[in-house]
Amino acid sequence: MALLFERYHRPLYGFLFHMTYQREASEDLVQQVFYKMLKYRETFTATGEFVHWMYSIARNTLKDQGKSLKQRVKHENTDDHAERLSGGLTPEEQLERKQAKLGLYKAMEKLSDSHREVLTLSKFQELKYHEIAQILDISEIAVKTRAHRAMQELKSIYEKTER
Amino acid sequence: MKCEQYEGLFAGWINNELKPAERESLEEHLNGCTTCREELAGMQQLWAMMDEVEVPEPSHNMQTEFRAMLNDFKAAEAGKKGIRQQMGWLLQWRQKWPLAYTFAIILVSFGCGYLFFNLKGGSKQDQQMAALTTQVHELKQTMALALLENPSASERIRGVSYTTEIKHADKEVIDALLATLNNDPNVNVRLSTLDALTHLAGHPEVRQGLVQSITTQESPLMQSAIADVMLKLQEKSSVKSFKELLKQKDLDHGVRDKIKETITQLI
Repeated sequence: MALLFERYHRPLYGFLFHMTYQREASEDLVQQVFYKMLKYRETFTATGEFVHWMYSIARNTLKDQGKSLKQRVKHENTDDHAERLSGGLTPEEQLERKQAKLGLYKAMEKLSDSHREVLTLSKFQELKYHEIAQILDISEIAVKTRAHRAMQELKSIYEKTER
Repeated sequence: MKCEQYEGLFAGWINNELKPAERESLEEHLNGCTTCREELAGMQQLWAMMDEVEVPEPSHNMQTEFRAMLNDFKAAEAGKKGIRQQMGWLLQWRQKWPLAYTFAIILVSFGCGYLFFNLKGGSKQDQQMAALTTQVHELKQTMALALLENPSASERIRGVSYTTEIKHADKEVIDALLATLNNDPNVNVRLSTLDALTHLAGHPEVRQGLVQSITTQESPLMQSAIADVMLKLQEKSSVKSFKELLKQKDLDHGVRDKIKETITQLI
């Protein structure tokens, strides 16, 4: 288990961070997910991929905790985070990039949970659509349609905030 | 086909997951449809921008907490598992064998138990166990001490967490922990050392060392953490050191308030 933690705590943390945008809460959630994996390790069948199982548990944990988490302050986290991302560019480029990034951040924050989830899994966790389909327990076509709608939504929110 | 029918392919396109035939049909459609072409270009640009979105690093604490959780879990599980396995074993046999065999097995096991305890073979085993336990303890201690010298901060945190597993920490361990508390360059290591020392607060030299450490700590984080510990331990002799700390001009405002509060609560 310690080995699994070494290998997967970062991607898992990344996923939970995108779903909550809260650092400490995400760390707590990682801990909870690993605890659940330990506790319910019998439910993991060797036929499936470990990561799929892990993300399924992570989703359930989010569902249990998510509602109370979400209402809390979100914005200061992302603002503060975007501040730290610039480096190695001229001040103007930096400012422009920072604004674009901040815009994208805000837009992602405003996405609906299911849309953000599918984009996080495909973009940041680099999973294929058929893998996401297994995790979300829907068909691959549904995942693709959802990913497309998510991109549409993201684009329209982003364009609105940029203007 | 209508534009909507290509939506599934859009998602495949940006994630680079299209089969050659799908790619061809989408490209063909894009050649004739400006709206779709623009939409896809926009999406692709956004998709590429998302590359720059970074996730902050999880803190070192997470590792320490995970290890602690894992150890707790293993300890809790070891107790449960023993009984469950034995029961499962019995149940399996009962299904396979007739009742008579079960009785025979039970009789044999009672007989064995009787022989085992009557012959007092246990006491020798107990001695061996005790000797082994001491050896493991010593090993842990040596390892903890060695890890505390490691250049990597996370290894040193591991060393600190090992010391919490040692039941009877001797002077050598306490001295090493106090030295880490006062001299380690990494604040995370110092914080976990403080935590480990709090567990050892039964020893008078630990309390004394903690009180002495109050004035040597420069980080506001450590100063307020020590204040918390002192309050928890109700260590009244720390008041003098705190008052001395308050005399420092560059003391953090938040810490200053906290220490004042701690002093009033301790008195």
